[in-house]
Order: sequence, then C-alpha cells, then structure tokens
Amino acid sequence: MSTVLDLTSMLTSKTYTVSGFTDETTEYARKLHKMGFIPGTAVRLAPVKMSDPLIVQIRGSRVALRKKEAQQVLIKEI
Amino acid sequence: MHKIERIAIAGVPNSGKTTLFNRLTGARQKVGNWPGVTVEKKEGFFALQNSKVELVDLPGTYDLSPDTEDQKVAERIISSGEYDLILNVVDATNLSRNLYLTMDLKERTNQIIVLLNMLDVAESEGIDIKADQLSKHLGLPVVPIVAVDKKSVNKAIKRIEQLAENLPPHDSHATKAEVMDTMQKYAYIDELYKRTVSEKKDRNLNWTNKVDNIVMNKFLAIPFFLVSMFVTFWFAIGLGSVFIDFFDIIGGLLFVDIPGTMLSTIGAPEWLKVMIAGGIGAGAQTVATFVPVVFFMFLALAILEDLGYMARVGVVADRFMRKIGLPGSAFIPMIVGFGCTVPAVMAARTLKTRRDRFMTIFMAPFMSCGARLPVYALFCAALFGAYSGLAVFLIYLSGLFMAIFTGYMLKNTLFKGTPSHFIMDLPLYHRPQIGAVFKSAWFRMKNFVRKAGSIVIAAVFVLSVLNSVGVEKGTITFGNEDSQSSVLAFAGKKIAPVFKPMGISEENWPASVALFTGLFAKEAIVGTVNSLYATMDMTDQQAAVTAEEEPGGVDVQGAIIEAFSSVGEGLAGIISSFDVLGLGLITEDQAGISEEIGTETAVLQHIAAHFTIFSAFSYLLFVLMYFPCLAVIGAARQEMGGYYAGVMAVYSTLLAWSVATLFYQIVEGHSIFYILLSFTVLGMIYGGLHLIGKKEKEEFVPVFAPPIRKSCCE
Repeated sequence: MSTVLDLTSMLTSKTYTVSGFTDETTEYARKLHKMGFIPGTAVRLAPVKMSDPLIVQIRGSRVALRKKEAQQVLIKEI
Repeated sequence: MHKIERIAIAGVPNSGKTTLFNRLTGARQKVGNWPGVTVEKKEGFFALQNSKVELVDLPGTYDLSPDTEDQKVAERIISSGEYDLILNVVDATNLSRNLYLTMDLKERTNQIIVLLNMLDVAESEGIDIKADQLSKHLGLPVVPIVAVDKKSVNKAIKRIEQLAENLPPHDSHATKAEVMDTMQKYAYIDELYKRTVSEKKDRNLNWTNKVDNIVMNKFLAIPFFLVSMFVTFWFAIGLGSVFIDFFDIIGGLLFVDIPGTMLSTIGAPEWLKVMIAGGIGAGAQTVATFVPVVFFMFLALAILEDLGYMARVGVVADRFMRKIGLPGSAFIPMIVGFGCTVPAVMAARTLKTRRDRFMTIFMAPFMSCGARLPVYALFCAALFGAYSGLAVFLIYLSGLFMAIFTGYMLKNTLFKGTPSHFIMDLPLYHRPQIGAVFKSAWFRMKNFVRKAGSIVIAAVFVLSVLNSVGVEKGTITFGNEDSQSSVLAFAGKKIAPVFKPMGISEENWPASVALFTGLFAKEAIVGTVNSLYATMDMTDQQAAVTAEEEPGGVDVQGAIIEAFSSVGEGLAGIISSFDVLGLGLITEDQAGISEEIGTETAVLQHIAAHFTIFSAFSYLLFVLMYFPCLAVIGAARQEMGGYYAGVMAVYSTLLAWSVATLFYQIVEGHSIFYILLSFTVLGMIYGGLHLIGKKEKEEFVPVFAPPIRKSCCE
C-alpha cells in the first residue's frame, strides 16, 4: 500500500520515501531538492519529540523544518 | 610541474574545513570581509612545496547556486580560477550531502583535491568508505584526513604536494551539456554511494542523537535553551563587563592622561592637547572599553557554533521568533542586546541571510542595554520613588515592543517580499577546540578594533572637541566639558525647542545638552545632567572657579592598581550575584542611588523640579530609543556598511522623537497638533523606508563587481 502522505504525518520508527512536492517549482522545493529531498530518498522522523519545527533524518543528516512548510513535502510509506 | 601559490578551502558548514584551516595556518591568519559584501573572509599562510602558500577559507556552503551571499562569494572564487587549487573538505559521516557540493565544484574547475575528513568518526558510526573507489568514480584525487589530528594533517600535506605535481591547469571544462540538474546529481551520488560505502550499524545510535534526545526533547528543550542563553549572556556580558573598568582605566591612562601630560610638559598649546588627548585619545579609550565584551561575545558564539548547539538554538527559538519574521538564531543578538548593543550587532553575523542580519541589527538597539540603566536609575531616584521598578519595567517593555514594531515595519518596507522559510541542518555535536575558539574570537575582535574603531575614534574626536571648545566674546577657550560654555552646550540649548513636544521645556536645556554627550555612551547623560544642573544656578564666576580644578600630573601607579583591583571586584561581583542586568541599581533609596552613580541629592531635586513624572518618562523613552551610541554605529557600519548604519541612526532618532512625543502629549500635553505631528513623522518614517527598499530592490542585482584579488581585505 502506498498512500501519499506529507512529511508532517510521519510516525516515529517508520521509514518513508520522498515522492515529491505539492508544487515542484517553488523556491522551497528547489532548496530541499538540493538538500537531497528527491523522489526515492528514504526519510524518517528523528526520535526527538519536537513537534514544530519537526526534525527529519535524511541522507545521514538531520534537518529541521517548520510543520506548516513541511506539508509541501510528499512521502510514501514503504 | 604545477606551481601552487594560492589555495582555497571549500566545504559544507561543519565539515571541518575551518579546523583544517586553523591547523594549517596556525597563528598566521587574519579575518576580514570579502570586498563589497559582509561575508567573513579568513586567510593565512602555510608551507607547501617548500614555499609560502596563501590559503583562504571559503564560506561554508552546501552548493554553489547564487541563493545566498556566502554561495555567491564561493562560486565567484572557484569559477575565477584565481586560486591554483581547491581543497574540498568532505565530511565522511554525511557523505551524500557533502558530495553534492563536490559535484557543483566539478562543474566549475578541474583543480580539486577531495579531503575525506572524519573517517574515524564515520568508522565508529559503522560507515565504511573505500577512498580509492570514491576517487575512481568521482574522477578526483581523494586524500583521507583527520583534521583535528596534527600527524594526519602533515601526512595529507605530503600527499597533496605529490598530487599537485600532476594537477591540470585551470579549466572550467564542464560544457552546458555536461552540467547536470539536481536530480541527476543526486542520482549520480546515490549510485556512487552504493559502490563505495557500506553502512553497518543502525545510525540512530550515535552520540549526537543520544544528546539530542535529551536536549531537544519536547519537555527539556525550552528549559535547556533558557539555561544555555543565560550562560551565553553571563559569559559575554557578565564576564566581559568584569574587564570593562580595567580597559577603561588603562585606556584612559595610555591614550588620554599620559599623552596629555607629555604635551603639557613640552609646552604644547591647549588646542593640541584637546585634539590629541581629549579627542583621539578619548576615542581610543572608548573603543578600548568595548574590547572585552566584544571578545567574550565572539568567544561565546564560537563555542556555541563549535559545539553544534547554535543550530539547535535556531530550532528551539523558531516557534516564537518566526512571529516577528526572524530565524530562531536571531534570539542571541536580541538577548545580548540587554547587556550591550555593540556585541549584539556583531553577533548578528551568525545569521545566514542579509535580510535577517540587517533586520536584527536594526532591532537590537531597542533592547535596553546596561549603559542606559544609570540614566533610568537617576530619574527613578528623583521622581518615581516606589514606582521605580514599574517605570523601569515599562521602559524595557517599550523597548521590546519597539523592536517588534521595527521588525514589522522593515518587513513591509525595506525587506518587502523576501521569502522566509525555515530549513535548518543540525550538525553533529563536537567538543569545542579551545585553541580554535580563542583564535576566532581574537581575530574577530581585532577586526572590530580596526574596522569599527577608526570611525568611532573619528566621531568621538569631533564630539569631544565640540564639548571642549567654547567661544566667549570672540575668544576661543578650552576645557569646557560638561559646562554651559562649550559649543556642544550651545548647540544643545539651540536645539532644546525640538524636545518641547515631549515635555522638555526650554529652561530645562541641560536635558537636551546631555543627549549629545549620550552619543559617547548613554550613561554619559548622567554625568552631564549632573554637572550642568549643579552649575545652572551658579554665577559665571563661580562656574569658572569650579572649572579651574585641574588635577596635576598622572598617577600611573595608582591607575594601574585601580585597574587590576577593578577586575577582582568585578569577578567577585558576578560570582556573588545573579543580577547580570545590574537591575539592583534600581531601588527606592535615593541616597543609595546617588552614591552608586555619583550624583548629589541636590541634582535629584533639580530633576524633580524640571520634570514631571510623565515628561521624565517620555525623556527616558527617548533615551532608550534615540541614536544608539557611537560605538554601536561603528559596529553597524562594519556589519552593514555606512549607508545602512546612517539609515539606522536616523530611523531610531525619528522614532524616538515621535514615540516620546506621542506618549507625553497623550498623557499630559493634550495637544492635538503634536499628536498629529508625531503620527505624521511615523508616516514619514514608513514612507522613507519604503522608498529606500524600492531603490534597493532595483540596485541590488550586481552585488559585487570589484576584483577579489586586488582589494583582498586590507
């Protein structure tokens, strides 16, 4: 099953893959692309219980994103 | 044979490139700015191939697209081919993100050696990287290195020397067809990663994550943040202040007293003494007093950054700082502003974008600094009595409110339409390297003295001379400081009507004269008010007699002893008390305050006679907000350039006037005309900023054209 979710609906201890952005052409999307948020990349929630900004683990690094903005990042369950 | 003369170090933030830079250059380095921009430039020298090689530490960037000033600078230098070799430091624990920069570098030059750093840490995290495979797939030489280890660095230098022999000449050889887009680059990196890296353990379990699980925890994040901010403040302001008197006394001795006495003994004319000792000397003394706070501020920042906590500050503070349109890390300059505005302005340089830096610098002076407190204390003692605490609290609150108001104004005028989203990388925690943080603080402090110092000395010089020179019946006299007869006092009297709308009557001219001396440092207002009220009722003759009391000779030994004992007293003070803001100064006890700030009770009676509660409060509002002291403007000029430092000075003074007037007229003056006038001024401020913002947008496109090589940070 692979419903499309956004970054804010991740559950801890589960791994997802990035599937895209609500709008691929925004400045935000462009910046995150360069940080490795591209389709197929594995992403998971850091085990830190901060809800906003939320902290995600991607490509071996931790990135903090605002909840409201992170809704633009689409993910899939694997 | 390829002769290497100039090398640039490139890498992502926290890749260890600055550690390597420090390791290579040792003490032979200087910190400046890249020409035309406020991006820090660090350069130094080291020995390679038996000759002296220039080394520059490029700003840390994740890629080379022209999104930020840092990236523009880095891009320009790499593409220009002015450097013979680019050392690309790559963090082995975060390989794929780091390699993205390498891909960007590859498109712009072919003279790259990749230094694979922190292999030891990567190994302990269970990441195994085959360096030779990486080199093969990347098409670039790869040298493993542990930047914190001297032996490893020396070994790497040997290897670099060998590799440099076969380095091709500079060629930005990537043709348009070869330039990959982001997706392609990551696809390439992912493929490369699969072939060269094997991960063993679950990486969740590294040390950084364990610490973060506590420090960034939902419940502990805020308390931990507050404690760390208190420690930062205590460190920069508390510890810095301990040495202020020391630098003040020694600076006074070296720059003012000794030159003054020497000039007297050789029989130099009075005007020369005023110029040299009273002008330039006093300016140098002013700069000297800021040296300790600036040094400790930079030390605190370097430790926070080195530790990796700075990024976490940004995350934790984001929730409330975003409401005023600033990143969380702007919280540090704001909080430090309550101690001293100069280090606060300098701390803004840790922010990523120009907009964030400028906005923070504009807002920081509204955080009421320690130097303004004696002024509040004086007026509280004279007028507010039991309500002193409330009055001071309201002043601080007004400052906070005005800072937020300023942020709101700027967001809609000067920095309109800039997107603000929040993406923050959380680096691994590191043990701060003592030598490196001290060095960083030292070089930044030196840069402050050189850059901001010159303008501060010039401004203090002009003001001091005006304060000393008096014109009476056609003859010019000197030594009129804080008296009625100086040019400054004359100007103050002339300008007094301007302050009438905020409740300062023209007979109360000492209050307006003091605003001029307040430019030296705001606490100077106390001294001026003090001596002017004291001489106000005296006849001219009596005044002349008091002015005669010139101390003869310099007590060098006494001054030195006093300087050192001030450090001891200060240290005892900060250890015994948690009152870092110095708010203990505000008490109801008149005699106590008089003694503490050196006024006579007669002066308090004068203040009580000349001010009402409301006009005093509006005066304090003005003191809080108007033209930050000369040292702040010097620092702001260093960080933003002269133009914006000027805009800031005009902005804050106009705002101060209209707010103070508005307050006074609403509560006591009740003049509709003045109320409308202050609203008009507020409107004009808004319009002016709007116009500047518009002009800026049109002009901002070519950020820096000057060649980098020629004007390299003198």
